[in-house]
Amino acid sequence: MAAVLCLLLSGGLSLAAVPEFKIEIRNHLFQPDVLKIPAGTKVKLVIYNRDPTPEEFESYELNREKVIPGGRKAIVFIGPLAPGTYPFFGEFNPQTALGTIVVEADSDAAQ
Amino acid sequence: MLLNSVVIVLREVLEAALLMSVLLAATRFLQMGKRWVFFALVLGVAGAVLYGYLFGPISELFSGVGQEVGNAGLQLCILLLIVVNVFQISRRMQDTRGSSTRLALLMTLIVVLAIVREGSEVFVYISGFWGVTEFVSAVAVGSVIGTCIGFSVGVLVYYLLLAQPIRHAPVTSVVVLAMIGAGMASQAVRLLSQADWISTSGALWDTSHLLAEQSLLGQLAYALVGYEASPSGLEVAVHLGSFLLVGSAYVAGKLIKVADEDALG
Repeated sequence: MAAVLCLLLSGGLSLAAVPEFKIEIRNHLFQPDVLKIPAGTKVKLVIYNRDPTPEEFESYELNREKVIPGGRKAIVFIGPLAPGTYPFFGEFNPQTALGTIVVEADSDAAQ
Repeated sequence: MLLNSVVIVLREVLEAALLMSVLLAATRFLQMGKRWVFFALVLGVAGAVLYGYLFGPISELFSGVGQEVGNAGLQLCILLLIVVNVFQISRRMQDTRGSSTRLALLMTLIVVLAIVREGSEVFVYISGFWGVTEFVSAVAVGSVIGTCIGFSVGVLVYYLLLAQPIRHAPVTSVVVLAMIGAGMASQAVRLLSQADWISTSGALWDTSHLLAEQSLLGQLAYALVGYEASPSGLEVAVHLGSFLLVGSAYVAGKLIKVADEDALG
């Protein structure tokens, strides 16, 4: 019981501390393919691969790469980042699996 | 799909092939056998298949960052083994008469871990697309071509290393091993920050306009020195620190041997 409480508590705390964003891969496409995130803070991406085939989430600009087996989800932490656009792609299907992370300054995000 | 398979497999094969070439080339001035490389290849491929097979469950460990932790662990192990290996290389160079079993064992381990690290992703890729009829031939042919190009580059590097005057060979080997080890360590830092196990600051600089990571040369630089166009401060520090660590292992090997001789004299 205490352990469950601890888990819930830590889960709640980490949720509060790090904003979480969801991306899905379907038919070798990212949904959404443009994701807006706030600048200057660490962000948790949860990427669900809904295809039966594996995909590798990769971005040279974000310095990230992670293989996601078919039907599984992956967690990737990014940031803190400066405002700007950061392209990412699926290395296993680079013709179709393309997306961009748009990092917005706080004032932009508030509007 | 075909070209894509070539690139994916080549990227992974290249890193392991380079490491293997340097170690194989070093066996000449170390006057030791090369038979260990066959064991290393067989064990490495078996390990890669096993790690790749368990990739899904491993990824879910540590609340979803098992992949980063596992790969970073493998890469830090390789760096550590390179440090010990360079120390042993340095010692053996003073006297090549003794048994080379320890060196062969170290080299085997390094190659096995490198193949496990890189090969597992190839396994996930190939096995993942194997069930998709339209992709099978492209993935199969592409993987074979990618592997062949990767090994060809390895063979080329091997002969380039052998072509140099033998008196330069030890230092060249140590420098190349130090570069590869440093690349492994800074990759590990990136993986651990991706997993949020460590925090890194923003990019220290950005050289993507000079040498893009996705270019062929960029990929080669990535495999050889862990080139990163926009590294964080911690990555740069760990990269330099690891390079110096491997270098000092070489110097330490020499110093200790000299001390032994002094004691005997």
